[in-house]
Amino acid sequence: MSTASAATHVLVVEDDPHLAAGVMENLRAEGYEVTSAGTGEQALEWLATHGCALIVLDVMLPGVDGFGVCRSLRERGDSTPVLFLTARGDPADRVHGLEAGGDDYLAKPFHLQEFLLRVRAIVRRWEWYRSASATAATALLRFGGNEVDFRAFRARAWNGEAQELTEKEAMILKVLAEHGGEIVSREDLLERVWGYDVFPSTRTVDNFILRLRKRFEKDPANPRHFLTVWGVGYRFLKDGEP
Amino acid sequence: MKATRVFQLTALALVLVSAVQVGWWLLDQHAYTVEKVQVARATYAEQAAAAQALLDAGVSGARVEQLLPSIVVSDGRALLAPQLAQALTSEERRRYNQYAWEGSFFLLALAACIAVIARALRAEARVHEEQESFLALVSHQFKTPLASLQLSLETLALRAPPPDAARRLIERMLADVARMEQMVTQILESARLERGRIELKAEPLQLAGAAARVLVQLEERARVEQVAMASTIAPDLFVVSDPLALDVVVRNVLENALAAVHGGGSIALSARAANGAVQLEVRDSGVGFGRADGARLFEKFTRLPGGGSRYGTGLGLFIVRRLMELSQGSVSAHSDGPGRGATVTLAWPAAAAPTAVASLAAQTPPAQRSAPLEEPRS
Repeated sequence: MSTASAATHVLVVEDDPHLAAGVMENLRAEGYEVTSAGTGEQALEWLATHGCALIVLDVMLPGVDGFGVCRSLRERGDSTPVLFLTARGDPADRVHGLEAGGDDYLAKPFHLQEFLLRVRAIVRRWEWYRSASATAATALLRFGGNEVDFRAFRARAWNGEAQELTEKEAMILKVLAEHGGEIVSREDLLERVWGYDVFPSTRTVDNFILRLRKRFEKDPANPRHFLTVWGVGYRFLKDGEP
Repeated sequence: MKATRVFQLTALALVLVSAVQVGWWLLDQHAYTVEKVQVARATYAEQAAAAQALLDAGVSGARVEQLLPSIVVSDGRALLAPQLAQALTSEERRRYNQYAWEGSFFLLALAACIAVIARALRAEARVHEEQESFLALVSHQFKTPLASLQLSLETLALRAPPPDAARRLIERMLADVARMEQMVTQILESARLERGRIELKAEPLQLAGAAARVLVQLEERARVEQVAMASTIAPDLFVVSDPLALDVVVRNVLENALAAVHGGGSIALSARAANGAVQLEVRDSGVGFGRADGARLFEKFTRLPGGGSRYGTGLGLFIVRRLMELSQGSVSAHSDGPGRGATVTLAWPAAAAPTAVASLAAQTPPAQRSAPLEEPRS
């Protein structure tokens, strides 16, 4: 999936030829390789045989819409990040896009600089995640009887239960594991995992930690691996609190 | 709007309550009649039993009949007078009939009221829904060229591109502005058409002339997009229409055809008279459409997949349909399938050609207008 060129390859799915051309020219100027698709079906077909670092996906497409494309991708286990472009910018629609498995959401008309910033942030985040899970040693994490496979986004909990991790959960776990034993602030986690301010609240981070505890702690109310450092952030202990 | 809705809902509630009342009244009356009839029967039965007792006690039949006028005595047995028994039965039947007729009349009337109100409520909901989706679609249709425009401008500002790249961006921006201008026009046109606030003239018009005027306007675009447009329309064909409406209809159909063949192809116009009508056929070699899409083609905001209508507002053919309806004409579209071109047929009532023009036209061969690829522009 992730060949050398795929790391800087962006797929632009947009049915408006002018907008597609403008987006592609700017991405090319930034050094990305770009492929375009005019419909959701074309995009899914191309993605079945190719990999890329990011999909810039228009929501309102003829035929299968952008949300549908993203959902199909996630269903077939493709975790390629998606940046939605849409004419509708209301919060409900934004939530809808993130629920469909999107990484970020930009309302038309958008600012070029902001668009490029978000693209860069998503690509960099995933580059880090992939390279941090590249070797056999870094792809697997074992703690307290749990076993997490970062590449497959799967885990087996201490009680033998199979777990499917979302991309965000896996990323948070990765950041915490990389800094095992150290304190990681909520802001750092937001920055590393969400990058640009999709969720402006650090409460979001807390919710994800709660989810991780539920999945992997024997007693989520008295965690031994995912520890809260009051007023600062979190600390991950691989061997558990003594 | 809101007051009407409150009024409608209140009326609906009142009518529903009335319907329940009528139903209850019917049941009550029915029960009352049943009870009355039973009481009468029981009374008569008692009289008959008493009469029988008197007979058995040796009272003469004549005396018994005198004492109890509702009883007749035959063969030593006391019976209810047949005319009384019959009167009772017919009264009972008369009442039931009355309930059945009156009840069904009232219930029918109330049901009609409910249907009318429910229909109005539904229609209102539909209008509301249509307005919502109209707004959503319009804003979407505008935001896309707006986004493209902003992107081009910001690209110019950010990258200071070389002159030829800048020129390309400027051309793109001009096209975006033209697109938005066309959309505004079409949205206003369709809004006016929808409210029926448009009065069309009915004049005899030469079809070939009208088509030629539109073709000239689209010549440049056809040349850029490498589309060959050819028209063979006999100059003696006259239609009854409004001159402006004729222009708009022909232009919208041709623009649609151009969008469908973008990237090279051909568009052919031909016309003929048939059964008091004049038919104009616009045949293109473009993207065509599937059977299922054919039905939606003339509805508002139909954008078919396959690229053809990318630039459209989805209003062009809707406007054509409305204008043709208002001109007592018709429009239909046919395609052998996606990728196999399409033919749009417009039909107007035929007009008698003004005699001077007709005799002149009869002597000249059919007008030939075409805009081939490399035709030099004057």
